[in-house]
Amino acid sequence: MAQESTTDKNVPVIELRHVDKHYGDLHVLRDVSLSVARGEVLVVIGPSGSGKSTMCRTINRLETIDSGEILIEGEPLPQEGRELARMRSELGMVFQQFNLFAHKTILENVTLGPREVLGQSKEEAEKYAMELLERVGVASQANKVPAQLSGGQQQRAAIARSLAMRPKAMMFDEPTSALDPEMINEVLDVMVELARGGMTMVVVTHEMNFARRVADRVVFMADGQIVEEGAPDEFFDHPKTQRARDFLDSIKGH
Amino acid sequence: MSARTQSAPSVRAALYEAPGPRTKRLIAVGTVLSALVVAALVAAVVRQFYVTGQLAPRYWSFLLEWPTWRFLLQGFVGTVEVALTAGAIALVLGLALMLGRTSGPRPVSAACRLVTDFFRGVPSLLLIYFFFLVVPQYGIRMPAFWMLTLPVALAASGVLAEVFRAGVNAVPKGQVEAAYSIGLSRWKTMRLIVLPQAVRYVIPSLIAQLVVVVKDTTVAYVVSYPDLMQNARVLITNYDALLSMYLVVSVVYVLINFAINKASVYVAHRTGVKIIR
Repeated sequence: MAQESTTDKNVPVIELRHVDKHYGDLHVLRDVSLSVARGEVLVVIGPSGSGKSTMCRTINRLETIDSGEILIEGEPLPQEGRELARMRSELGMVFQQFNLFAHKTILENVTLGPREVLGQSKEEAEKYAMELLERVGVASQANKVPAQLSGGQQQRAAIARSLAMRPKAMMFDEPTSALDPEMINEVLDVMVELARGGMTMVVVTHEMNFARRVADRVVFMADGQIVEEGAPDEFFDHPKTQRARDFLDSIKGH
Repeated sequence: MSARTQSAPSVRAALYEAPGPRTKRLIAVGTVLSALVVAALVAAVVRQFYVTGQLAPRYWSFLLEWPTWRFLLQGFVGTVEVALTAGAIALVLGLALMLGRTSGPRPVSAACRLVTDFFRGVPSLLLIYFFFLVVPQYGIRMPAFWMLTLPVALAASGVLAEVFRAGVNAVPKGQVEAAYSIGLSRWKTMRLIVLPQAVRYVIPSLIAQLVVVVKDTTVAYVVSYPDLMQNARVLITNYDALLSMYLVVSVVYVLINFAINKASVYVAHRTGVKIIR
């Protein structure tokens, strides 16, 4: 066990090797290679249609790839069945549209995975779920259904749902893009907290301040390719490529 | 987030803009005119009945006797028994056909699709003749109840399979992705996340289909099963009272289906609240 954890340290939690994907004629991912170390917070930015969401979704095979390899802790991502389901259960995913189960209460949303997948008892699952809901600040909404919550509350509950599975890493696919402006920060605060707690995170986002403040590394994608990557300060202050400079200029100040 | 409001007038409000003063006048005039037309038609019908002697007491007096109603009640019970049994079988079979079609392996999926389309396309009367005339030739004897119930159920199952499929397709893809992402298997995702939502979406259509099942049972006379319609026919021959009997029976059928519709609104209201998006 002790030996395993030392080897774990060196193996990236998530690794993509030469990943390619097409939608018909559209080449959405071009030779994407990327690795995320344990505890690292990787922020992926880029113009819309650059393939960043698609890339994020390939990591737990919500999108398939045409060629290349995806490794989770050094193991190839399973292609189907029980192994794939188990691997997915170990990777958290937070969606742009929250995707809370519409017919279940917040508490049921958070306990469903632990009970059905991890085989926890109702009491055990609910105890941890309430802790998590407390942590993300929606414990008082536990018995409401998603439609009764604001977008920000729903997204925080969705984060708690992912955390309930005690994931090795979490993917955030534009977690604040569907939110009203006044709710963005309450979600980002939860994410900052998570990052400080040492969670391995891949975050696709348009929140540049968040990227600068929290990211260990920023990856800039355009046209399905990783164009540039580096430490946030370096990337935002001295982008090396023209594409990145154009992008940063285009979103700067109004 | 599009809010789905629960109040009944919303559909009307969504389809038509609120009328202006000129339209309001037009509507008022139209209402009065059509009321007059309807009243005139009813009067003409009643007059024709009177002229042809259909209003004579001998055509109606038997309706005041208890045995008439007891006999009709027996028919009513027969209808309800067939409709409920056929409805239950059709629900289970329709669900199975839909599941086979949407998540079975390719041969199973193709077979389910074929069966669904077949039952959906074939008139239920034809299926009843099949069970009544063809099946016994192969030595399979079954009571009239099943010769009526099975074909009605099969015909409805094809439609219900499609209704369920529409419901499953209406569940947003994100629900499935979220379920997969916490590690639920395909089957558990279907059972715990997709089906419960899909069923809530289609409850009104499911119950509307039950109305069709009730109406399908009226061909019970083919197999001489004593349902409401068949018993009414017996009374008609007994008392030579075609008009009065048919009038009474249609009112009963309308009431049955009215009750089913009321139940559907009630159920939809109770379960619908939970999945407003």
